[in-house]
Amino acid sequence: MSDLADIDALRAEFLNKDFDVQTFVFEASQLASYALACGETAASYTDPEDDDFQAPPTFPTSLQPKRRLPEGFPKLPGLGMDAGKAVAPKLPIRPGVELTGRTHLHDIYRKTGRSGQMTFFVTRMEIYDPNGTQLATADTRVVIREKPTAQDDT
Amino acid sequence: MFGQQSNPVILDLHTHSIKSDDGRAKVQNYCQWIRNRELPIDGFVLTEHRQFDLESDYSSLAKSFDLCILKGAEVETEYGHVLVFGVTEALMGEFDFSSIHLPLAQVIEAAARHHAVPVPCHPGRKRVGMSAHLAEFGIPDGVRIVEIYNGGSRDQEDTIAQAMATEHNYLGIGGSDAHIVSHVGRCATRFPGQIRDERELVEALNAGEFEALTFRDAA
Repeated sequence: MSDLADIDALRAEFLNKDFDVQTFVFEASQLASYALACGETAASYTDPEDDDFQAPPTFPTSLQPKRRLPEGFPKLPGLGMDAGKAVAPKLPIRPGVELTGRTHLHDIYRKTGRSGQMTFFVTRMEIYDPNGTQLATADTRVVIREKPTAQDDT
Repeated sequence: MFGQQSNPVILDLHTHSIKSDDGRAKVQNYCQWIRNRELPIDGFVLTEHRQFDLESDYSSLAKSFDLCILKGAEVETEYGHVLVFGVTEALMGEFDFSSIHLPLAQVIEAAARHHAVPVPCHPGRKRVGMSAHLAEFGIPDGVRIVEIYNGGSRDQEDTIAQAMATEHNYLGIGGSDAHIVSHVGRCATRFPGQIRDERELVEALNAGEFEALTFRDAA
């Protein structure tokens, strides 16, 4: 993967710049359905009549930007796959509240492992309420790993 | 083995916390697991990937759980991954810990200047282990110790590491390479005397009196 674009140059050009903004509004029934699908049992997540009803902590991972990467980001060779999600809840997400998700590239880095060299992209969506108060961040990590060689089969 | 020493100490010399990009374990949870499971180790070294964690202070956790919690690093070289014990801010200025293309010779020379100890880890592993690169790059100068028990090893990786250590007269350490809580303590290293900080760990490694242990079969 040595022919990949220079990571430092990519970081300098693309990190920490919003490239997508989306708005979302969810009804209580949608949040409850999500919670039930996740196996949640707490009434605060599953019962819209509960006084503290809110989206479960993992809910922000279901919010997606329209673009996956910034415009002009180079296509890198290799095999791309999901490398995990991470959520940092800050304040409750309530039904009926317009949410704004602002997305930027949070990190780009390389590592080596059994499967060879890998390049990771961490896309971060910051979620705000109409007052501009941040409610959560949701990170999506994608890995591009170099294509397997004959050595991988040995 | 350490019959003349009254207080041998067993440390897991290779662990990762959530400070590593692929680590899923909080340090407190390692401590809880070790104590709740009554694991036969006295502490562990956090060797985060491609960085040295300057900011975290685990002294209160160490005191609460009566465990030795030390910090090191795992860097990436052309010979694969290398643990570094005794990292200082001065050593951090010698090379870019985040690089995946560090020359092993540079790491070894810098470590020597700053009284740190480099230890190639999981050396029997393809791509990221030292043995996979000997044919291409030759036997590196300055390696004294390698990891011969790694808790994440598969198949014959540890056997290859041990054979390489025997062939080249390397000393051997053990570490779990834990990324999740339940893997801590799978492998470890026994030292003859007390180790309270990174400086004493470096002294003990330099003294060469230690023994690699594996508890994988007992798990």
